[in-house]
Amino acid sequence: MGKLIGFIDDKLKRFDPVWRAENGKGGQRSRYHDVTGVAKYREWRGVKDTMFDYASWLNNVLAMVKMVGSAPVSIMKGFWEYRWMGSYLGTFMFIDRLFEGYRGEELRVAHAQMHAIVRSLTGRIGYILSHDRRLGASQAKSEKLVPMDEVLPELFMTGFPGLYPVPLQTLPEFIICDVDQHIEPYYIDVAESFGLPADVCSRCAAETGVALDDAFPLVGKALITTNMPCNASEATSMFQRRRVGLPDYQATLAMIHNDDELALPFSRQIMKETIAFVEEQYGVKFNWDAFFKAARRINEQNNFELEKWDYMKTGYTAEVGVSETLYKLYEWQSVNGADPYFNKVDRKVMKRLRKCYEKKYQPFGGKTRHRAFLWGPSAVYYTDFPTWVQNCWGIAIVLNMDSTMGFNMIDTEDPDKAIDDLARLTQKATMRHMAVGGWDNVNAVWEWAHNFNCDMVLMNDNIACKGMLGVHAIMEEQARDLGFRFIFIEHDLEDSRTVSRQNMRDCVNQYMSIVLNEEPLDPTLLNFDDSDAY
Amino acid sequence: MKCNKKEIAKALLKLLGKLGLIGLLFFVVTFVIYMGNFENKLIYYVVRPFLNKHYDSQVRDRRIV
Repeated sequence: MGKLIGFIDDKLKRFDPVWRAENGKGGQRSRYHDVTGVAKYREWRGVKDTMFDYASWLNNVLAMVKMVGSAPVSIMKGFWEYRWMGSYLGTFMFIDRLFEGYRGEELRVAHAQMHAIVRSLTGRIGYILSHDRRLGASQAKSEKLVPMDEVLPELFMTGFPGLYPVPLQTLPEFIICDVDQHIEPYYIDVAESFGLPADVCSRCAAETGVALDDAFPLVGKALITTNMPCNASEATSMFQRRRVGLPDYQATLAMIHNDDELALPFSRQIMKETIAFVEEQYGVKFNWDAFFKAARRINEQNNFELEKWDYMKTGYTAEVGVSETLYKLYEWQSVNGADPYFNKVDRKVMKRLRKCYEKKYQPFGGKTRHRAFLWGPSAVYYTDFPTWVQNCWGIAIVLNMDSTMGFNMIDTEDPDKAIDDLARLTQKATMRHMAVGGWDNVNAVWEWAHNFNCDMVLMNDNIACKGMLGVHAIMEEQARDLGFRFIFIEHDLEDSRTVSRQNMRDCVNQYMSIVLNEEPLDPTLLNFDDSDAY
Repeated sequence: MKCNKKEIAKALLKLLGKLGLIGLLFFVVTFVIYMGNFENKLIYYVVRPFLNKHYDSQVRDRRIV
């Protein structure tokens, strides 16, 4: 059998884009239609890896069929009602783009984690749409759901096992902007047509647009908002709470943190009040036993994460690039200890990673030239940026900022200590831990890069983020002083009309060719038009 | 009894053969779709333009409050 596979691999290797790039006969982009980004055919990765990729694709197709089967009428109504639902059809193209060039162990790890996301997300979409009053669900049925702001760690909601938390912005904005670069500009335009300035963060503008366009699912009977993580986006919550029109509590997250003395008492009080609000509005009591059970799950996941980091520091790992960061982001943002399936996947992946480390396995055929720490949000997902820099320039994204979110352990016995840990978790949430919340969070870039043995730092420069624009020059000075190769990558987060994907890629192209005088691994990836691609 | 066993074995083989054939057909059809990227082409060139046309014609209840 091995001989037969070897024979077929040898005969078909001219279709393998990695082989083609190595032999000057084309590369990854040769199989795409320009502009649309639609592939003429899928990537040939050799018999074993192609069959594995095919089986993983089939598995994801089945998850989607299951979603439609779980609530066929609601799902169809959802597609008809919500523009953002149509964008989820781009998921297969998204996955293909993300894992281009993946082979062997990294492909297996990537698909195990991606399937967990697809399985969880499709289940979540089916459940939420079938409880959406706009699509015909009854008031009583819908009232089991608790709409809440996406940056609150869902872990606290596991203390209410009879209720279903719905991070309101995740489906129409936070996740789908990664899959389809064309969806959020529509919502941004809606917000701006009401006079919202065009120079605010495009995430905030898009979320506001979803609210004004009446495109949030109608669920629950009370809403938990926050002041949002970015100083500039507080208005977003205001617009959302006005439009949603449910009784609400604003869980005001501390703007200063990393300080147990100053911030913790405040954050603890906010968590207590949030829990009390849910108890009062939904007429249920917080169940500590259920909470501790989920806390044990999140602790297990965080322990695995810390072990993964040790392998990632060495380079002998199959947990790489976009697969690592997207999984961690979803696991933290939308699971947060609530789904045991993720623990199951983590255990399997950890076994594989331990073996990889023992065997000194090097991903991507050992062709990595540089190790980079990436400080990048959504714009790195719809551009499949970590995959592109690896395939084009051999730059391995060792860790992205999204992977550095809340990894503190939660006490599983004492409610008082657990509330403190939960409060610390809110201080390490998406964006709160990255762009705001004290100098240590931004300055930590160098520490992360140093600890993970990186020679490069790629820093995404959101041209509408007022907070980060203020530190632009300081970061450049520090990079020079500390001896890091440093690239600022301009982007407008969710508005690809302002800074295109190629504009972002050019930031790296210019640095690599002009400053470092290097040649690309795959020249077909240097310059291409994917402006109409999802 | 002997005849029965033979008949059962024959029926089982027939069933396995049919299942195998169905499995093979399923594999061939889905693998061709997968390799030719046909589902994405259908979505990109047919389904999404149709849905976008519908979304563009929607009258949304747009307001601040």
